[in-house]
Amino acid sequence: MEAVGREEGGVWRGGRGVARGVPHGGRKAGSASGAGREGGVRGKMAPRKKAGVAAAARGKRGPPAAHLSPASSEDEAPEEVSFGAAREAAEAERKLEGEAAQRHRELLKEKRRRRQELFVEQKRRKLLPEAVLQELTAAPGAGKQGEGQVQKRVKKHKRRKGGLPSLALTRPKGNYTAVRLKDQSLTGLHQQLAKDFLNTQLYGPDTNRVQANEFFSLENKKDPVKKAAVQFVDKSWGQEKKLKAIRFKKRWLSTQM
Amino acid sequence: MPRHPSPGPCSPPLFPPPGRRYAGRWCPPAAPVVRDRAGAAGPLARPFPSPTPGTVPPAPPSPVPLPRAPLPHPPAEPEPPPRSLRISRRDAQSLLPLPVSPPAATSASGCAGRTWGWCAGRSGAGAGARCGMGEFEVHRVRFFGLVPAGVRCLACQPRGGRRLALARTDGAVEVYNFAANYFQEKVIPGHEGRSVEALCWAAEDRLFGAGLGGEITEYDLSRLCVARSVDGGGGPIWSMAANSSGAQLAIGCEDGSVKLFRVVPGGIQFERNLDRRKGRILCLSWHPSDTHIAAGSIDILRVFDVSSGQTVQRIMVNYHVHKVKRECIVWSIAFLSSGTVVTSDSFGRVQFWDWEQGTLSESHTVSTSAVLSLSVSEKEDSIVVGTSTGATYQFQLLPVKMGSLEKRWVRTKPFQHHTHDVRAVAHSSTALISGGLDAQLVIRPLMEKIQKKGYEAALRKFTFPHRCLVSCARKARLLLFQFSQHLELWRLGSTNETGKDGEVLPLCRMPEHLVQLKSKGPEHIYCSCVSPCGSWVAYSTASRFHLYRVQYEGDSVSVKKVPKVPKLLLPAYQLQFSADSGSLFVASARGSVHVLQLLEPGGCKHLHTFRPPSGCPEAVYLLAVSADGHWLAAVSGDWAIHVYNLKCFKHHCTVPTYDCAVTALAIHPVTNNLVISYSDQQLFEFSIPEKQYTAWSRTVQNHGLHKAWLERDSPITHITFNPKNPSHILLHDIYMFCVLDKSLPLPDNSALLMNQSTLKQLPETARQRQLHAFKICKKFQPLLFADLLDENCLVMVERPIVDFKTELPLPIQQKKFGT
Repeated sequence: MEAVGREEGGVWRGGRGVARGVPHGGRKAGSASGAGREGGVRGKMAPRKKAGVAAAARGKRGPPAAHLSPASSEDEAPEEVSFGAAREAAEAERKLEGEAAQRHRELLKEKRRRRQELFVEQKRRKLLPEAVLQELTAAPGAGKQGEGQVQKRVKKHKRRKGGLPSLALTRPKGNYTAVRLKDQSLTGLHQQLAKDFLNTQLYGPDTNRVQANEFFSLENKKDPVKKAAVQFVDKSWGQEKKLKAIRFKKRWLSTQM
Repeated sequence: MPRHPSPGPCSPPLFPPPGRRYAGRWCPPAAPVVRDRAGAAGPLARPFPSPTPGTVPPAPPSPVPLPRAPLPHPPAEPEPPPRSLRISRRDAQSLLPLPVSPPAATSASGCAGRTWGWCAGRSGAGAGARCGMGEFEVHRVRFFGLVPAGVRCLACQPRGGRRLALARTDGAVEVYNFAANYFQEKVIPGHEGRSVEALCWAAEDRLFGAGLGGEITEYDLSRLCVARSVDGGGGPIWSMAANSSGAQLAIGCEDGSVKLFRVVPGGIQFERNLDRRKGRILCLSWHPSDTHIAAGSIDILRVFDVSSGQTVQRIMVNYHVHKVKRECIVWSIAFLSSGTVVTSDSFGRVQFWDWEQGTLSESHTVSTSAVLSLSVSEKEDSIVVGTSTGATYQFQLLPVKMGSLEKRWVRTKPFQHHTHDVRAVAHSSTALISGGLDAQLVIRPLMEKIQKKGYEAALRKFTFPHRCLVSCARKARLLLFQFSQHLELWRLGSTNETGKDGEVLPLCRMPEHLVQLKSKGPEHIYCSCVSPCGSWVAYSTASRFHLYRVQYEGDSVSVKKVPKVPKLLLPAYQLQFSADSGSLFVASARGSVHVLQLLEPGGCKHLHTFRPPSGCPEAVYLLAVSADGHWLAAVSGDWAIHVYNLKCFKHHCTVPTYDCAVTALAIHPVTNNLVISYSDQQLFEFSIPEKQYTAWSRTVQNHGLHKAWLERDSPITHITFNPKNPSHILLHDIYMFCVLDKSLPLPDNSALLMNQSTLKQLPETARQRQLHAFKICKKFQPLLFADLLDENCLVMVERPIVDFKTELPLPIQQKKFGT
């Protein structure tokens, strides 16, 4: 009885294993459990049937259920299976299951590891070059030392800057940009703001402006005497191609001379 | 200055003939006082012909190999060219001109084509007609890409002043004179960094401007430049208004402050700040009693007490409107003496508020788009508003019932003269004036305010400046175009073909863009000129004068700046080369004219400065030099014409003053007669050697010019002559080109002035009887420049309106039923 119960449990577990492990070797596990059933559960009709029906209902796996309960088995007497054989079969099955679970876990682990590596790699790519990092790690150390030393270091940096421009280039830049004061006068900024305001009010999205071509063609539309279009083409079309053609022409001419 | 000075030794001028002195100026006996309104509106009411693609021949493939990019300077040149130069040379692709051929016949098609002739009493084909009078091969130039700047603000001189100040979006300021038939008498070119948002007259005739640069600028109207500017101290300035006495200026700034300045002799002085709140002050208006100021901002209008500086009323213009998402911009405001504040806003409403109660008394929605400008007549019975769809409306204060005392504002007249936004309106005593971003100034007279029909009773529209922006090198066949910040030098195309009257001839050489000269710095160009031989180009800005030597070697062009030009009193207002290209005349301030001698390898030397003997505060704005290099005539801003002798560098005489603006003048190459056209359309001929008006001029004054001629509404901008036909004077304005034949009788008022097309249909004998002196051609419009290249070759520079309208800022969409 015990074995049967376990058997049933095995079937169930196997079924679940199949459901869970479809991508990796689930089919194998399924077939293994099927074989076990054929070998060990023949004698017990009712539970097997129940199990088959239940399995079909829950897992919606038609074919294995049909396979498990052939119509002829109802009249046959339960097949005798020795205790040792049943145990062996059960153990083998458990072992197989365990291995499958192990493989699954390892696969997951591997996946996680690879992902982690990718992240690290990405992070490294975003980071500053090695030289800069080293200099950065050196800087806090300098900060701990006395102020005089810091100043000396600064001076050294300056000297080095003069001598080695490449090193100066690698120095981290602060959150600033260089601009000419002349371009950034306050009046200029205010003036720009004022102009922007005017532009939005007069030509902004709500103002219902229309292209000149469309606007001046309206008259023509209603005019009994039709005239030529106001603009034949938009001159901005094909700007690049035209430029290219001009450049080509120039080059061609120079080769001809 | 005496009206008719008799300059020293010369005999006193015999003019005026027996005319009457009328309203301060000479009125020729036949000058019409009354005229037909419809007729007066005629010349402008006509629509512009649209460019018909059919008349422009497709550019034929150029038979010659394309020119290589020119060397900026030949290797032999020791000096690198100045950096402000950019030399480019390309084939003109656009609308090309027309070539025209020597005329083969005067035929019935007359002015229908590029080759065209006058009905001058001769017809017939063949060689006989080749040198027949008045048949020309015409270069029809349409590659002058001038885009006039839109009108930003207008200001009428208060208390019946006769001047109108106008500012354009490029910062240029212009002054129109009502008394001189709305002649554009002064132009102060713009400046890149100086936008003008508000203009006002203060202290009688001082003109102030303010703009987003944050400075208040006073203009010097006699020297045509900025006299001084003061920083307003509140960021960009949106609005400025002078009080009724003209002694105080109020400015509205970006930072929300209203500042008062006192106008003192020689400048302005900061007086005080009024209560400052957040939000830019977009418009301002003084109460006529000078006690309060109304200021419009975003969503709000405020009234300030001038003496305490406090805000005494604050009105939310959107308070009664529910669920408004957009902010409401008060674009314009006016304070009436009754205590009513009138606002126009971005929701298309014109609203009347009672400022003491803070209540809305009337609201009129005039447009679906913004109402941008508003102006009140001095009597406060009429208001004109301009909208961004280009329409203007008049509101009038009318009694609700006949004889009733209760009056209400009623929208009376709509006008649609503009295609683009009307950002400025003004209300003179007799006319509604509007200026749009389509660069048009429209003066619409109010017929009920006009007592007699006269020049003022006609609708005026001005789009182009009343002076020439083109100069022509006749011998070299070059044209120099002046733009606001650069010059373009073009070589005219040519043709070998000949054709019949009215035919379009194919070009064998396309017009060529030779050089583009970019002026360095933010200042705009005052004037420019190319010498008749084409080898010198000069231009002037407010602070600098440039002279260039241009050399043509085969296909390439080199431009070299002439170093060390003499230090002159700048700016120069007009430049003119002598006919032999040996000297340059520079019109300067205080009536003076400098003479520079041009030296061959590319140098120049100051020779002499002419000054009017009695002195003159105004700048010289027109120059004319005789072909023999003997005489120079100069017109200054007070309209006095001085003639100088160039051989002995002496003042020769003064032309009797006529009380109207001179629009053009030229000296006849053969007879040395000075032909002068005035803004009231009168023509005079003054003999320089004899120092008096010629007999023909007297005949014209006795007979009077034709009514239709006097009613034209644009001034003559250029006069030239045909050396082969000394009796011909060629003149043009924007809408017509005229050959004036002095040998023919003057037309009577009963005759048809523009009779060319009728003449063509008449038989020879009848034609002879119908001929008169004015042969007018209206085929080329709008005509910016016309000149005679040689005896039968003309160049006409046109700028079709539609061509530049597509380059203006975008217009507002308008729904049209059925489209």
